[in-house]
Amino acid sequence: MALTAAAGTNSWHWRSWAGLAALLVLAFLLGFVVMGRNTADPREGLWAAICRGIGLTPGYRDAAAPVAVVPSLIAWTPATLAAIASGDAGRGEFVALNCTVCHGARGISTTADVPTLAGMDAAALYKQLADFRSGKRDWGVMNGIALALSAQGLADVAAYYAAQPLGLPYLTGRTIPFSGRSLRSSDPAVRLVFAGDPSRGIAPCGSCHGPSGYKLGAPALAFQKSAYLARETAAFAQGSRGNDINEQMRMIAVALTDAESEALAEFYARGASSGN
Amino acid sequence: MQRISRVVLAHFWVAFGLFLPAVVLGAWQMLMRSPMSAPLDDSNAYYISVSLHGTVMAYVLTTFFIMGFGYAVATTSLARPMRGLKWAWLGFGICLAGTLIAAGVTLAGRATVFYTFYPPLLANRWYYIGVFMLVGGSMIWVVLMIVNMLSWKRDNPGKPVPLAMFAITATAYLWAWSASGVAAELLGVVGPAAFGATTQMDVGLARTLFSVTLHSIVYFWLMPAYIAFYTLLPVAAGGRLYSDRMARLTFIMFLVFSLPVGMHHLFADPEHGNGFKFLQAFFTFFVVLPTLMTVFAICASLEIAGRARGGRGLFGWIRTVPWAEPMVLATGLSLLMLGLGGLGGIVNMSYAMNSMIHNTAWVTAHFHLIFGGAVVIMYFAIAYELWPQLTGRPLRSKRLARWQLWTWFWGMLILTVPWHVAGLLGQPRRVAVFDYTMPVVARWATLVDISVAGGAVLLVSAVLLAITLLRSHRGAPYSVLAPLSYALPVHPPGRVAPVLNGFALWNGMVLLLMLAAYGYPVGQFLFVLKPHSAPAYNVTRPALQGASP
Repeated sequence: MALTAAAGTNSWHWRSWAGLAALLVLAFLLGFVVMGRNTADPREGLWAAICRGIGLTPGYRDAAAPVAVVPSLIAWTPATLAAIASGDAGRGEFVALNCTVCHGARGISTTADVPTLAGMDAAALYKQLADFRSGKRDWGVMNGIALALSAQGLADVAAYYAAQPLGLPYLTGRTIPFSGRSLRSSDPAVRLVFAGDPSRGIAPCGSCHGPSGYKLGAPALAFQKSAYLARETAAFAQGSRGNDINEQMRMIAVALTDAESEALAEFYARGASSGN
Repeated sequence: MQRISRVVLAHFWVAFGLFLPAVVLGAWQMLMRSPMSAPLDDSNAYYISVSLHGTVMAYVLTTFFIMGFGYAVATTSLARPMRGLKWAWLGFGICLAGTLIAAGVTLAGRATVFYTFYPPLLANRWYYIGVFMLVGGSMIWVVLMIVNMLSWKRDNPGKPVPLAMFAITATAYLWAWSASGVAAELLGVVGPAAFGATTQMDVGLARTLFSVTLHSIVYFWLMPAYIAFYTLLPVAAGGRLYSDRMARLTFIMFLVFSLPVGMHHLFADPEHGNGFKFLQAFFTFFVVLPTLMTVFAICASLEIAGRARGGRGLFGWIRTVPWAEPMVLATGLSLLMLGLGGLGGIVNMSYAMNSMIHNTAWVTAHFHLIFGGAVVIMYFAIAYELWPQLTGRPLRSKRLARWQLWTWFWGMLILTVPWHVAGLLGQPRRVAVFDYTMPVVARWATLVDISVAGGAVLLVSAVLLAITLLRSHRGAPYSVLAPLSYALPVHPPGRVAPVLNGFALWNGMVLLLMLAAYGYPVGQFLFVLKPHSAPAYNVTRPALQGASP
């Protein structure tokens, strides 16, 4: 009895493994040989077809990287973030003496078309300064000033302004529900900020610039100067500003009507509120 | 059963207690997506709600229910006290703490990453800690199931392990294999970013690891339904199980074939070659085999019961099957939904057809029909079957239970059939609000409105479930209660082949298949491809400075 049971077990084992092996061979043949030969260039050999099946295109190792036209030299790599984090607000205060004339004492602008810097996220400040420095964002005075700064100087002044009070509100990461602020809202600014406009490919402004969400490198806009906001939206729309990494701002701005950009600028200048 | 009843009831009440609010969220989400106006009309709230609904339904309801069911099965099928009761309570505590943490963080709007995480989205670290505790705590259950089966085998050499215990142990092994993917993703990719060790995430690697879990977890959820089909249904129908060997092979095939298939969720991912995508799609078709075997065995078992109750002729036995029994009724409704949902699933897993429905509402509709419908309706039936055993009181009442099952069935069909169609018309998934003034979107309006009605019916059904289960805790207890009995096969096995009485061979096969199907696709990220990670996208707060005013 024990003998038969053992023999039965062996036959189960043998058959199961053989069946599985046959299945695997069949699956590999179908997936890598039959399908590879039928979907790739028929002039390619069997080996090339198998490589394609694995995910390796012929010559992938030697292919030269295409020349990229980049809108900004800043990418959010660990090195960039470390550079920003190394900013020293104390040293930055000294650098910032160059900025006061236009951006106001402690970064609180009193001029309609000059942005307030106090409280702006350091990553956003750093990116814009770096873009001015590399010429990726064009604004004569700022290009000259940024070129005069060292890389560490950018981080220092960014750290200084990020820490200044009474300007833009600090990011709290608050994402509590905003009831009624969706596509169904009657206020066009509220609709665009909280729901965007899917039919025109406009993402909600608020999902990156607040108050419903914040993304790395996108400045919070609440309490920013309205004339500055309107001007920059127009610059994106006309293509004279193009340092948005994925062209998202250019695509959105060009789809907005004049009335809408104005309403949005007012909405944010009031502190992301429709004011009624 | 006395001491185990408390642990089982604790698990079931966490599962069903969170299920009810999660159904409310689901009904509200469908209202949000519809042309009608919804209260708390805000897309951020929608994503919080989706994340919470998904986390509760996919992780909490299932894991707690299956753990509780496992403890009940281990005690009743082996007919002896379960080993490691204290460990069961410990696992319960860890899972519950994890659940509360994850749910709290999600409610606070700091984990709107859905329940599948979607790297490079990055939630608050406590969300991942909560989910990790929930999954990790359930591993205690896995070990307890395996230990109880092995110790019974040692004490009963040569005897076949009772089918229900064999099947729940297969479920435990399946869950351990399945959870390895999400555990590797959490520890290897998401965790380091969540804890600030890196700002980058290798999205391709994370998605590939999650795909290991992503499909096999579905079979983990499905297994209790199949266990009920094979071991509880024939008793409720007053018949016998068609074949014990077929049942064992079914559970073994689920264990072996449900794992190397997850890449059919990655058909559109660019990191993987055609060959491996095809390979896993091909293996996915083999999961159809145990499903078809089950449909055959269940119909055969029902026919045996119907004929034993006097049914005659080719189809006459169908009328004499006791459809008034909740377990029998639920099985019938479940098989109908399994049939429809299964056909839809074949579209999803077919390499070519998938592109037609990829990322559309069809996919969401599909998993609601097959999981929320076919599987969860069996959870209800199992609860109705076990409740008298657990509370020592009769179910109040079977009539209410039948109403609940019927409303769940019709609610699910009204919800998901138009939802499928909307998906075919191109409605994308994971979208909070639709602009119904657009002509192309306007075509979906009526379909979504019908789905809202389906959601409302499901909400009614969930309330009926809570009422039925709560009422059954009260009332006069039984003076004598017959123990839970499992189905006898037509030909009870005196002994079974050792390979059908254990899992060594089958786990070996899973290992081989996983190496063949995932070895290169995972390994390429470490050894072949150039590093191509992306910056993590913190859904809560990306600011570097200015933390506190």
